[in-house]
Amino acid sequence: MYGLYEYAWLILAAPLASFAVIVFGTRMADLWSRHHGQTAQDYAAYLREADPAFAAWETARGSGGHGEQQHAAQAAGHAGEAAHAGHGGEAGHHGDPYDDDPTVPYLTPWAKLSGYVGVVLMLLSCLYSWVLLFASLGLLPGTPRLPEEGITLFSYTWGSDAAFQPYTIAFHLDNLALAMTVVVTTVSLLVQFYSQGYMAQSAGYARFFAYLSLFAFSMLTIVFAANFLVIFVGWELVGLSSYLLIGFWINKRAKPAEERPAPSSAALQAFVMNRIGDVGFILGIMILFATTGTFDFATLAGNGPHGVAQAFAGNQALLTLAMILVFCGAIGKSAQVPLHTWLPSAMEGPTPVSALIHAATMVAAGVYMVARTFALFSAAGPQAFEVVAWIGGITAIFAATIGLTQTDFKRVLAFSTISQLGYMFVGLGVAGTEIGPGAGMFHLFTHAFFKALLFLGAGSVLHALHHAMHREVQDMRLMGGLARFMPVTAATWLIAGLSISGFPFLSGFYSKETLISLAFEHGNYGLWAITLVTAGLTAFYMFRAFFLAFGGKGGALGGIWGGPYRGEGTPHESPVTMTLPLVILAVFSIFAGYWVGFFQYLDPHAPLLDLGKIFSDGLTWLGVALSLLGIAWAYVLYCAVGWERVHKVVEANAVLRFFHRLLLHRYYVDTLYDWIVRYVVLGLCHVAAAFDRFVVDGIVNGVAGLVMELGSGLRRAETGKVQAYMTVFFGGIAVFAVVVFVLATLR
Amino acid sequence: MDLASLIFWIIAVVLVAAALVVVGQRNIVHSALALVVVFAMASGIFLLLNAEFIAIVQILIYAGAVTILILFALMLTRIAGQRVTNPNARPLAMAVALVVSTLVGLGIIFAATVSQFAQSAPAAQLLQGTVCSLPSNNVIAIGQLLYSPSCYSYVLPFEIATVVLLVAIVGAIVISREEE
Amino acid sequence: MGLTLTHFVVLGAVLFCIGLYGALTKRNAVAILMSIEIMLNAVNITLIAFSFFNHVKPYANLLTGQIFAIFIITVAAAEAALALAMIIAIYRKRQTVDVGEIDMLKW
Repeated sequence: MYGLYEYAWLILAAPLASFAVIVFGTRMADLWSRHHGQTAQDYAAYLREADPAFAAWETARGSGGHGEQQHAAQAAGHAGEAAHAGHGGEAGHHGDPYDDDPTVPYLTPWAKLSGYVGVVLMLLSCLYSWVLLFASLGLLPGTPRLPEEGITLFSYTWGSDAAFQPYTIAFHLDNLALAMTVVVTTVSLLVQFYSQGYMAQSAGYARFFAYLSLFAFSMLTIVFAANFLVIFVGWELVGLSSYLLIGFWINKRAKPAEERPAPSSAALQAFVMNRIGDVGFILGIMILFATTGTFDFATLAGNGPHGVAQAFAGNQALLTLAMILVFCGAIGKSAQVPLHTWLPSAMEGPTPVSALIHAATMVAAGVYMVARTFALFSAAGPQAFEVVAWIGGITAIFAATIGLTQTDFKRVLAFSTISQLGYMFVGLGVAGTEIGPGAGMFHLFTHAFFKALLFLGAGSVLHALHHAMHREVQDMRLMGGLARFMPVTAATWLIAGLSISGFPFLSGFYSKETLISLAFEHGNYGLWAITLVTAGLTAFYMFRAFFLAFGGKGGALGGIWGGPYRGEGTPHESPVTMTLPLVILAVFSIFAGYWVGFFQYLDPHAPLLDLGKIFSDGLTWLGVALSLLGIAWAYVLYCAVGWERVHKVVEANAVLRFFHRLLLHRYYVDTLYDWIVRYVVLGLCHVAAAFDRFVVDGIVNGVAGLVMELGSGLRRAETGKVQAYMTVFFGGIAVFAVVVFVLATLR
Repeated sequence: MDLASLIFWIIAVVLVAAALVVVGQRNIVHSALALVVVFAMASGIFLLLNAEFIAIVQILIYAGAVTILILFALMLTRIAGQRVTNPNARPLAMAVALVVSTLVGLGIIFAATVSQFAQSAPAAQLLQGTVCSLPSNNVIAIGQLLYSPSCYSYVLPFEIATVVLLVAIVGAIVISREEE
Repeated sequence: MGLTLTHFVVLGAVLFCIGLYGALTKRNAVAILMSIEIMLNAVNITLIAFSFFNHVKPYANLLTGQIFAIFIITVAAAEAALALAMIIAIYRKRQTVDVGEIDMLKW
């Protein structure tokens, strides 16, 4: 009956399959063909010609002209990529040839095939998920809608014994999962398609697509999870994939001048920060399981003896605590205060990865998880939702203020993501049971598209600047007027920027204004004020970024379009593999908000999105006015006045300078964490290390030393002389005789 | 003091003295000659204890064969220019050996004389098999005990002893044979 | 005062100790062998004395001690032959019969 839906696990299986095919098949073939396809001499000659830095590097290494060593290293996979670090055409203009993405002169057919495998399988997944979405909306004749409780796609229990029953691997499809699947597969598809252009010439091209597929698979595992066990597995898989992708450029080093960490340490930071949140997540799951005896979402939400309603009856405080702990996992994954610091660091990964992380896969996991367990949060005390809403609200304004001053193009977007995630949590927290997770998820849905667009556009800019300046440039002070050079990127970016700022009739407008008005309607005036102010701030920093990068004083249309270019060289518009996804996403960014039945789709009892009410409500226009004010203020500062003069004014005024420093250094949270880790955690570690060295090792070494001493002492007893043995033997008898004597006399 | 006691004490004193000479002499040939005296005196003790057959065997095997063997070995292993042919160990080792042997000897003597184990007489036990009344002639009695097919006898151990001897003969030849 | 078992046992013990002392202190292998022969004789004396002084009825006329002595003499003869053969073999290899220098048991 639900035939079409029952094969939805194929959506999940496809990325895993492409991961396996790439890792075990085409990537191997890629490395192998590199090994056989080009001789070491050819390659070294090419590099010497293409890159003067390579020759310098080669002489410094003392192996000039001997390609065999590099060749041998090249055959060894990652090591090969490391060896290539200095060979790339654009790499050599810094002092250190290792400090960039390792490149190859051309991609082998196998590497390209890896990309095609990833893209094609993801395309099939994406198409299938869209078909299912339409079917579940009732638009596909002959196929029924999904039942409200969803259907089970797959279920496997470890054993038939009743003790194994809670530990089930189960995947589940309902409207919520389907909506998320569409987002994940669509964004993943576009990011993979885009990566074909962005990662061209990367030595790890095949590896990159394998990781992207793994990332999509991990996220889909979370999406389809039917119980806490599976969602946790997906959760950790997402952590792993993000680790692999953020640290993709394994050779890049930290840039202290720009306060940018090395990708490898950024990856580690993401992993560790998430681990902190995961402690709470695990504890929350444990409390739920210990009390109810099940992991299954449907059972937990139900009214049966295993449901939280009955199991926690009379003990709601514990359930509230459990849900807050579960939310801790979401804080880590979705980069909420205070565990947000990993997300700006994660900008060190390749830009398509940032797009994927920020739009669909990683940070959305936290929001999706809260939406998935919405019923449990509802069953808990009101404090649970209050914590969710306030954490979200604080994060929203906190990150938005930081975003005001950042000069790194990608980092502005990172803080904007944190801020928008805060919005989603506000939406989840204030919605209440009658609206359900719809409000937060709706913002997630629209945000996914315009945030992916913003990041991919930023990637397009960085790609162009990298080609123009032959080094990695992310500082907006070195951009300016780029709209002249790359109109498609600029236009799509403008659409996304308007959308995220809540400009009327774009998708962000609907989702964001809904959230803000929900906060007001539910009497949460504090949150309402915060979100309202944040909306204005969002508009300001987004357009600050837009004007700094694409516009400038003296450009066309009063400085909006084009302006003086502050960098070197001439940037060019990116190839069509990169601009096509931008255009597609721009379409989604405009129209995704018109899905008025979204709330009802997730929860049949929720009301329709009332467009008329949105447009007639004065408060909506208050928000819009604030956004427009932000845009206007950004225009005044960065198009009319110019950022150099603004900078001078800020530096001249002590109060402004103080706030600028504070925001530029992200409220010194990173510094604080650094201090805590350096002095508190490492101090404890030193104590533990000393304990280990002196007590544990002391015992172990002492025992070993004792045995050694005993052995070397006993060695002397083995003289090899018969008489010595005989003396000992009869000495034993003598002792025995004495013992017998003593015993006999004492008796 | 009856005659038997007198003879016992004479033999015992000579025996112990000769044994001390064996142990104490620094010339090994003298030790070997004193060993003959030890064997002969032991044979006298056996006679005192009505063990005529064993006394004769003692003279034949020990005083005769073993002594000759030892003398031959001494001759074959003689080291030219060695003045002390029967050296002692280091003084410390000698002291240890003295203490050990004294303690062992005292232990034996204590067990055999003073302790309660010496006082308790063994209880009579039932013996399996036929016991023939043995003639007063010691040689005949031993012969009957060793070979009797019908009465209680030591035929099997005897046969095993013969195998031991055979193996010893073969082994001695193999070990001492000069390799070509 | 008649002769008792104790006389012979003590004589045997004294003889055994002398032999033991010799076996522990002498360095010439042949001398050690001689000391061992003394110890064996001491044991023989004790066994035959036990046999003589045994009055327990069924065992009294069995001469068990004497039979034991015969076996000991047999084995001692075999042992002497083998030991001397070994001493000669070692002497051929090492040109010494000093047990202080023969430490082939050492691994």
